[in-house]
Amino acid sequence: MLNIGIEANGDSLTVRLEGKLNTTAAMELDEKLRQALPGVKELVLDLEKLEYITSAGLRVLLFAQKTMAAQGKMTLRNVGSEILKILKMTGMLKMMTIE
Amino acid sequence: MDTKSRTKRAKTISRSLLTWLVAIVLIGFAASIGLSWILQTRLSNQSAEEVLRINIEDVQQDIQDKSDMNLLELTREIAGELPEGQAATSERLRELMKQHDVSEINVINDKGFITASTEDEFLGYDMREGEQASEFMCLVTENETEYVQKFRGISYDSSLGRKYAGVRFEGGGFVEVGYDAQRFQRDVDRTVVGITHNRHVGKGGFIMVADAKWDLVSDLKRHEGQNLYVSGVWIDREKMPENHIFHCTVYGVPSCCLYAMSEGYCIVAVIPENEIVLQRDTSVLLSSALEINIYIALFVVIFLLVRKLVVRNINRVNDSLSRITEGNLDEVVDVRSNTEFSALSDDINATVSTLKQYIKAAATRIDEELAFARNIQHSAMPSVFPPYPERKDFSLYATMHTAREVGGDFYDFYLLDEDKLAFLIADVSGKGIPAAMFMMTGKTVIRDYAERGDEPAEVFRSANEKLCDGNDAEIFITAWMGFLDTKSGLVRFVNAGHNPPILIRDGRAAFIPMEADLMLAGMEGTAYEEQRMHMKPGDILFLYTDGVTEAANEQEEMYGEERLLEVLSASFGKGEEACRNICGTLKQDIDRFTGEATQSDDITMLCLYYAGRENVLK
Repeated sequence: MLNIGIEANGDSLTVRLEGKLNTTAAMELDEKLRQALPGVKELVLDLEKLEYITSAGLRVLLFAQKTMAAQGKMTLRNVGSEILKILKMTGMLKMMTIE
Repeated sequence: MDTKSRTKRAKTISRSLLTWLVAIVLIGFAASIGLSWILQTRLSNQSAEEVLRINIEDVQQDIQDKSDMNLLELTREIAGELPEGQAATSERLRELMKQHDVSEINVINDKGFITASTEDEFLGYDMREGEQASEFMCLVTENETEYVQKFRGISYDSSLGRKYAGVRFEGGGFVEVGYDAQRFQRDVDRTVVGITHNRHVGKGGFIMVADAKWDLVSDLKRHEGQNLYVSGVWIDREKMPENHIFHCTVYGVPSCCLYAMSEGYCIVAVIPENEIVLQRDTSVLLSSALEINIYIALFVVIFLLVRKLVVRNINRVNDSLSRITEGNLDEVVDVRSNTEFSALSDDINATVSTLKQYIKAAATRIDEELAFARNIQHSAMPSVFPPYPERKDFSLYATMHTAREVGGDFYDFYLLDEDKLAFLIADVSGKGIPAAMFMMTGKTVIRDYAERGDEPAEVFRSANEKLCDGNDAEIFITAWMGFLDTKSGLVRFVNAGHNPPILIRDGRAAFIPMEADLMLAGMEGTAYEEQRMHMKPGDILFLYTDGVTEAANEQEEMYGEERLLEVLSASFGKGEEACRNICGTLKQDIDRFTGEATQSDDITMLCLYYAGRENVLK
């Protein structure tokens, strides 16, 4: 179960994730991001309430990172230690900008 | 337009039927009132005519009776003054004519010939010759003593109106007296007045009588002596036939009138139009009231019938269909009240049955394709163990248990040369056929570059570029690959985002500390670093995919890393046996843990036992 909160502010976008980013939630997030990202220069992902992330979720993060690399910047905020560990283990940490 | 809004726009059958029925009923009602109106008008005109006629006939009869009696009396009188009977002379007759003021007297003998007459030209006339005259023959041939005729045109001159009566002589033969209208009207007038004054036609109608000169003889308004025209009635004998209704305003009241001639009188019966109209209106109203009731009854009956026969059944069918759409494909539509609905039920059931078959066929096809994909997976991987029976310095064992939803795990191993064993485990993201096919590509690409002689990091670098190329589906592969130097026990490895392997040494299992580079096919230009570790003789390296640690039970708890380490921290023996034991024991424990829950991801393990060159197994 995942709650996705999207806040637009000009060409900045803040996305808050709450709950578990499993396969189904990943599909939903993927769709929402595809709709919302065009024209966005700065994307902030607030992961404070994110409990867990699966490989499907990592895929969405990777896609977001690649997309934003082309049109602006992506930042991860309030990353919990569990999530940080997963990001490290999957080699994705190096690619991300963490605050 | 989707079906829901289509239904909202359309009316219910009941509503449409209601509208239609109301329209039809109103039209029918209007039509029958119209017809009724026409009919009733005719009928009431007819009955008015009848009433008028009956009254006139009565009056006619009265007048005739009176005038008959009058003339007979006179004729008797005259006969009484002719004791000579047949022998009477014309001169005597002329005398009597003057005396009694009649128009004609004839004496006929017992042979039927006129022997004396007030008109010389009549002498010798054979009574049998004339139609009017021959009627009097009954006084000669039969035993009639008296005979009186109605006022009419006479035999020899039809424009002259005369009335005749005859009385038989005792000695045979008879005397015939004729008189004109004016003569008897003088006598009869008074009676006529009385006859009609007290007569009412209908409620407000009356009779008027005028004489041969069209002067009123009897009139409600007491205009006796004045011309009929003062009443408003004008009779044109040529244009207006007797006994036929005509309309005119009589004394200011629009009325229906009828006239008849009798004994020289003109009898006019009058009845006010509104009396007839009232009668007609009442009739129409009554029949309308009756019709309204009939129509309403019909309306209600039809409406209820349609509701019962059609609407209710359709709703029942719809209810069944809703249950089917909600997912119960075994629901049967069973509305059998009539043939049509029976047929509809059967047709719907047949359709659902056919669709169920299609669904089943499609599901079977999907299952077959999933099985096919799983076959691709399994056939791609080496499954013969031991793979290198002649080698005593190391042993390998690997298993893969695929989930129903086909994933893309794979393992691989090959001797690059006599002293170099490449071994790897990988996990393709995504599921189904795309993942299975990407798995094939990944495995082949990695092997190509490895066998080409590249170092592990270089292999992954090149493989990554190749896999990123045309990777529209955005599938990525986590992978861990190691090159084991069988002489020294050195393992040079590279980790593309995969979960770190476990080293089991002296019965203790621990994760190998290492860095992780980005997974394969994630991004072009990814850098991969070679990492190193050493295996001592007796060490076991355990590689696995996240299907192991993420295996969940019904409470959605995950197997987890701690449990994994716990199970692996034991002594398993040596060589291939050890490897088999490890994989078997672990799988058992996972199964015990997950219980009835369905496996959601592939569970893949690869176990490598290093014996070392010096410690070759006996």
